[in-house]
Amino acid sequence: QTHFLSHSLQAKMSRPVQARRLEGIDKNIWVEFVKLATTYSKVNLGQGFPDFPAPAFLTEAFRRAVSGENHMLHQYTRAFGHPPLVKVLAQLFEKLLGRELDPMTNVMVTVGAYQALFCCFQALVDEGDEVIIIEPFFDCYEPMVKMAGGTPVFVPLRPNPPKDGKLMSSADWQLDPAELASKFSERTKAIVLNSPNNPLGKVFSRGELGLIAELCVKHDVLCISDEVYEWLVYDGKQHIRIASLPGMWDRTVTIGSAGKTFSATGWKVGWVVGPDRLLQHLRTVHQNSVYHCATIAQEAVAQGFQRELTLYGKPESYFVQLPKELQQKRDWLVQSLDGVGMKPIIPEGTYFLVADISQFKSDVPDVPNSDEPYDHRFAKWMIKNKGLAAIPLSAFYSEAHKNNYTNFIRFCFAKEEATLKAANDILQKWKQEKNSS
Amino acid sequence: TMPFRHKNTRRIEGLDSNVWVEFTKVAADPSIVNLGQGLPDISPPSYVKEELAKVAAVDRLNQYTRGFGHPSLVKALSQVYEKVCGRKINPLTDILVTVGAYGSLFSTIQALIEEGDEVIIIEPFYDCYEPMVKMAGAKPVFIPLRCKNDGNSASSADWVLDPAELANKFNSKTKAIILNTPHNPIGKVFTREELQVIADLCIKHDTLCISDEVYEWLVYKGNKHIKIATLPGMWERTVTIGSAGKTYSVTGWKLGWSIGPEYLIKHLQVVHQNSLYTCPTPLQEALAQAFWVDYRRMDDPDCYFYSLSRELESKRDRMAQLLREAGLKPVVPDGGYFMIVDVSTLNVDLSDVDEKQPYDYKFVKWMIASKKLSAIPLSAFCGPETKKQFEKYIRFCFIKKDSTLDAAEVILKNWNKKTG
Repeated sequence: QTHFLSHSLQAKMSRPVQARRLEGIDKNIWVEFVKLATTYSKVNLGQGFPDFPAPAFLTEAFRRAVSGENHMLHQYTRAFGHPPLVKVLAQLFEKLLGRELDPMTNVMVTVGAYQALFCCFQALVDEGDEVIIIEPFFDCYEPMVKMAGGTPVFVPLRPNPPKDGKLMSSADWQLDPAELASKFSERTKAIVLNSPNNPLGKVFSRGELGLIAELCVKHDVLCISDEVYEWLVYDGKQHIRIASLPGMWDRTVTIGSAGKTFSATGWKVGWVVGPDRLLQHLRTVHQNSVYHCATIAQEAVAQGFQRELTLYGKPESYFVQLPKELQQKRDWLVQSLDGVGMKPIIPEGTYFLVADISQFKSDVPDVPNSDEPYDHRFAKWMIKNKGLAAIPLSAFYSEAHKNNYTNFIRFCFAKEEATLKAANDILQKWKQEKNSS
Repeated sequence: TMPFRHKNTRRIEGLDSNVWVEFTKVAADPSIVNLGQGLPDISPPSYVKEELAKVAAVDRLNQYTRGFGHPSLVKALSQVYEKVCGRKINPLTDILVTVGAYGSLFSTIQALIEEGDEVIIIEPFYDCYEPMVKMAGAKPVFIPLRCKNDGNSASSADWVLDPAELANKFNSKTKAIILNTPHNPIGKVFTREELQVIADLCIKHDTLCISDEVYEWLVYKGNKHIKIATLPGMWERTVTIGSAGKTYSVTGWKLGWSIGPEYLIKHLQVVHQNSLYTCPTPLQEALAQAFWVDYRRMDDPDCYFYSLSRELESKRDRMAQLLREAGLKPVVPDGGYFMIVDVSTLNVDLSDVDEKQPYDYKFVKWMIASKKLSAIPLSAFCGPETKKQFEKYIRFCFIKKDSTLDAAEVILKNWNKKTG
């Protein structure tokens, strides 16, 4: 027995117990805001999930799988994706991408689109690689790139407000082509594209995608294309898949989500579609991290897709009905917000909308030299004092750019009519209070 | 055209092959009696399935839940394990729910292991430990279990670590040791004395212990599963991993958990929030309900934790008997649902087969093709130095329904009737 610690033991004990790859990625906006919403909110338009039920055909399929004769559905399935699911995904995406797909090598199932993103970065981004991220971005991209040892390089969507004083659309937020081109360097490994975009709701046009594609081809850069909201596009707009553009199939991994497609975020079933020579590396990460995804949810999602494939393009298709319903909800919320002086940016897609709250600044005064961006403080105040939960837009910006856009908050409108009405009531009351003071 | 420059990242270099991908494909043929992969073909208990069926009808249970673990599940886990460990476990800070125990191993290793670290792995080992340690940039340091009766082993208890050899593996770079008890593939249940030897070294060298206890409930008469985290000085340096798949015979639910002190678990939570964020809600809720059922009867022999063990003990005994009748000497496991057996005594000559693979790989492939029976070669569970030591063993899984074992019986009884 020693009374003194050995030199090497002292050295070991003075080192942090956690690995260096966790440096700077421990904070997470959702932990804070989900807690606040749970504690204070009467109406939660914050975190992105529907408060209406998943479609009956899907939950029925789940129940059948659970209680059916085949109890082997409670055991492991194929690690890279339950055969019925990868087969139907291949069939569907063959149609959508206009090319032949092998379900065994061009498709992999993941634990939500989140894990698909993780596999992409772990498989393809090495220390020293640069990854271009378009701001504002779904917040996990940055820490995932960092955890893989990569360097995030940010390029903003810039608002070009319409001159006629009409409400802005997400289409008015655009990349500056020269600025985008300047972000590509020898070290650029990949660009992350998210269309339709969370939080703005932007649906990238063919021209905009073409610009990105040209740069990817020119610099031999990969494209990680997060298309989880692919079915949620409004006003007759079309979602275009960058993997279908010339020169892009071989360098693109396309990510999708059953949670967003079928309004069942809690099922955590996602997938990647892409060329085998990229997916083989994602398979290696997958087999060394989670290995299998839960069987039953995959079985039910497969059945959901089989139904959709037979109804494709028809009015009864969920892919047709859901965006129709959500478009109405979007318009409702736009009216609500506009009616009280918050200026919504009308989203072309997704179930999020961002609104400019600068006219409400009197309620939550600015604090000069505050650590916290204004919209953060505003959102927290609003949850606590008005019971209405939303997410500050600065949550979707890098540390360096958090103070560039501090007058915006993001609302989720994938909510029952009653929820949206309750939100409207809160907003109306608030407006009356402001007018009378 | 430019050569395609986009290769795999360094962290996954050499980690692409996997014994399961190879053998589950081979054994997928339904005419083959599959005693290979560790997958029950018995039905999960009906109340477990019923809980899941009920859950699908509750709307909010189809949406996201708490990232680090569904509240009712972490509550249930804390209650069950408080009882087992005899210490208070905070459901929010001391537990992380993951995608299977596999996900817990990954989160633990990614959180706590990095380049420059060494991690001690006991051979034979569940095959993912080595690639996961490598993916974290660290160096696996192997130490074999050795058969103490000069290779004449009748029980998993015959396989032991040499304490002096083990002590030599520890140095200033040793970040962790991975313990698996009950052990896959041998079925060894480490005794208190054996665990104390490991614990003493962990404390002396300030090393962490990653304790894979997925088979914790499957221990047979005369044996007791002991949690190394309950030994003095160990709670603060141990992450204990469990599995719903193994506890409730639902491997396809892919839910597992890590339990340990907050100051370690918080780092696993960071990995989790940056890799998959949440686990599926309906499965977690159903699992929580199943745990409440069994928590309430933990002092009752009907508790599934004990009844499954009794059911498997008779299957174990049957499997051992069948192998003996075929002229083999099985290593009877004290726990788990695997059994290893030395097949060299059958003297099957495979020298004309492709030499690059170890004997047991060739044997299993031959056995699948000619006997229509599958198993897993033991050298899949070894580091490079010990392949020779273990290549005469294969592993059978016996968590199989009676008709599967009946079919295996027919094959084994007729084994000697054909030429090998």
